[in-house]
Amino acid sequence: MESTRRARSMAGHIAAYLVLAVLALFCVVPFAWVLLGSVDAHASVYLRTPDWSLHNFVEFFTQSGTPQLLVNSLIIAGGGTIVCIGLAMFSGYAFSRFRFPGRRTMLFGILLIRVIPPTATIAPLYVLVLDLHLNNSYLGIILVEAAFNLPLALWLLKGFFDTIPESLEEAAAVDGASRWSAAIRVVFPLALPGLGASALFTFISIWGDFLTPLVLLQSPNLFPISIGLFQAYVGFNEVKWGLLTATAVIYMIPTVLMYLLVRRYLLRATLSGALKG
Amino acid sequence: MRTASVIAAMAGPTLILVGLFVVGPAVYGIWLSFTNKSLEGAAALHTQFVGLANYRTLFTDGGFLQSLGMSAEFVFFSAIVGQFVLGMVAAILLSRTTIRFKGLFGAAILLPMVVPEVVAALTWGSMLAQGHFGTVNRGIALFGFAPVNWLQSVPMLSIIIINIWRGIAFAMIMFQAAIEGIPKEIEQAARVDGASPWQIVRHITLPLIRGPIQLYMLVSTITTFSIFGLVYFLTQGGPGGATNLVAIYIYNYAFQFFEIGLGSAGSVILLLAILVLGFMYVRLSRAEV
Repeated sequence: MESTRRARSMAGHIAAYLVLAVLALFCVVPFAWVLLGSVDAHASVYLRTPDWSLHNFVEFFTQSGTPQLLVNSLIIAGGGTIVCIGLAMFSGYAFSRFRFPGRRTMLFGILLIRVIPPTATIAPLYVLVLDLHLNNSYLGIILVEAAFNLPLALWLLKGFFDTIPESLEEAAAVDGASRWSAAIRVVFPLALPGLGASALFTFISIWGDFLTPLVLLQSPNLFPISIGLFQAYVGFNEVKWGLLTATAVIYMIPTVLMYLLVRRYLLRATLSGALKG
Repeated sequence: MRTASVIAAMAGPTLILVGLFVVGPAVYGIWLSFTNKSLEGAAALHTQFVGLANYRTLFTDGGFLQSLGMSAEFVFFSAIVGQFVLGMVAAILLSRTTIRFKGLFGAAILLPMVVPEVVAALTWGSMLAQGHFGTVNRGIALFGFAPVNWLQSVPMLSIIIINIWRGIAFAMIMFQAAIEGIPKEIEQAARVDGASPWQIVRHITLPLIRGPIQLYMLVSTITTFSIFGLVYFLTQGGPGGATNLVAIYIYNYAFQFFEIGLGSAGSVILLLAILVLGFMYVRLSRAEV
């Protein structure tokens, strides 16, 4: 009796490892081609043993056009993150510290705005950006990306500020003017991990965006990496698989590393305050 | 009075930017959906009010309804079935105290979710490549199957599998957090009473995390309905419109045919459907403010 039970639990144990191993392999195997292709002097669309070479990466940084993709991605994601976090710091602080009429409605409204899919507003957004003469410019896409990411950043930062006791700044804050210095000198430094996490989430989100730059940018010299990869993949010319996979590796490494830093906030960010804590 | 101006100065810029570029387009889209706004031809110069004409076109020419059906199929099989089942299996197995290498398994499953969607799509461009040397075709050849031209002959199945792959992690992390919240004593008591692992999952774990499961269904339905890049990168809605999800339909109408009015009408319908789900989400989430 005891031995059959143990045998059964042993079999269950092995089955559990088998299922997990298959799942993990399913998730990882597709990346083999991108990684091996990027160091293969004769990469093709098929997975193969590489002729080891760093030539593809050299080509990425020396060929005309491709370094500009990286620069554009950095400008757009960096600029968008600075604008987004710069604004969300203060609005998150205001929603955390002050009780004012309409506050609850606005907070829930902002939560609701998060579910609006970019694909559902992209056509009118394009017309609006045209009307504002912000089309095909760094400024236009930076402002739009910042706006898209503000709801999440505001909710995340409000949550972080909520955990900092208000008594710390009450001593500093006597009148309206010093409220700003209390926020900047007392609260923001204490919320630095939260600010960092929110900034990383914003950066990752803008860095990985495809639809917005596809619609709002037309000049190849403004394209970020996502659009460059798409153009190269569907291009009429022969695809250079080595350069393409090297570009993909350069593109994905920063997000993977950043995710490692913010992994513990992942659930909170995907639900943006929808779960307690 | 001073406090009011501090609040306005702190929160104002955020509300203005979100109002201008998120709420504004949503409202502007409703107006545009009643016009013949176009980026090309005569209508580009003289935009006219056309009433419900765009909506009539959407619901009579068949393409849009077909797109809605495809999106529903895509959402159901990839998010509601595939990601849910595999994410739940991963979460339950990784919550077992006896399992080792949890970090390694967890990280592997997380990888498809954390890379940019363009890279995720690109990897499958090679996985599903046609001919004998495509990675998946080499895999099925081991079992004696002939090579398949995946994106041409079974495009919907292909994008469903790709999206399941990308989203297992989201389901997994949500259910892991929920399972962690279940007191260990309940499970232990059941085991002492002789319950099998399957009985514990069926009668204890699943009923106790019903709330997070509902929340997952809602959130993943919303996000899956708006998927664009992952599919557009590989198929552009093809072949022959077989993967023309609502998001791709709207994009093509607005930016390939320059029919902004028609694209906006499609957007309004997508938006209404999502907002209904969104209200349920906000209510279900019981967020503290």
